[in-house]
Amino acid sequence: MQNLSELTRRLIASQVEFVLVDGFAAAAHGVTLVTRDVDICCRFSEANLMRIQKAFAELHPVHRPRTDLPLQLTPEQCASLKNLYLKTDLGAVDCLGEVLGIGNFDEVLKNSVELQLPCGNCRIISIDALIRTKEAMNRNHDLITVHYLKEIKKQQSQN
Amino acid sequence: MNGNKEPVLEETSSTYGAAGDGIDLSLLKDSLTMTPWERMQANDDALNFAESLREAMEKRNAKLK
Repeated sequence: MQNLSELTRRLIASQVEFVLVDGFAAAAHGVTLVTRDVDICCRFSEANLMRIQKAFAELHPVHRPRTDLPLQLTPEQCASLKNLYLKTDLGAVDCLGEVLGIGNFDEVLKNSVELQLPCGNCRIISIDALIRTKEAMNRNHDLITVHYLKEIKKQQSQN
Repeated sequence: MNGNKEPVLEETSSTYGAAGDGIDLSLLKDSLTMTPWERMQANDDALNFAESLREAMEKRNAKLK
């Protein structure tokens, strides 16, 4: 059974360094499109990746490109991986080392805001940075999201 | 090379699973394995999570005013 907020709660509880990006970040800013996976930009250090592994350990995590491979990270993998695409019992999580149009985790972190969620504090990519990355990705649904985000900014400036 | 036939995780692009038009095929395939009721429940879950994020953002923005 999918439970995306529980996935996020586990990331927060395990003190993973991450910023929520893409679809749910857009939703946080007010976009009404629905998404089905949690996308995060995170620090790709061994310590942080091991925190992610620990956060999802009970949820039978596997690599989405190879669902026959359970998530059992080695130090060598941690040193070479740039992205991590996971499938768990509670849903899919995409972990990105960098975000197109923004940069690596530290750059994304600088371009984020902190939200107080019921399960703890969580950083979310800012609306301006989200527009930048969606424009850089330039796929059909990204451009639709950009339209929403620009309209939200317009509405907010009028209020 | 993988002579001992052990599974190897290869690096994937930043748009893994996304077809040219941006559709995440792995998510789509997962969705197609569900019953219509399961899809509706998954949609509800995503909407509830999105709503909790929107509420948190509204509270933050209200504080900044």
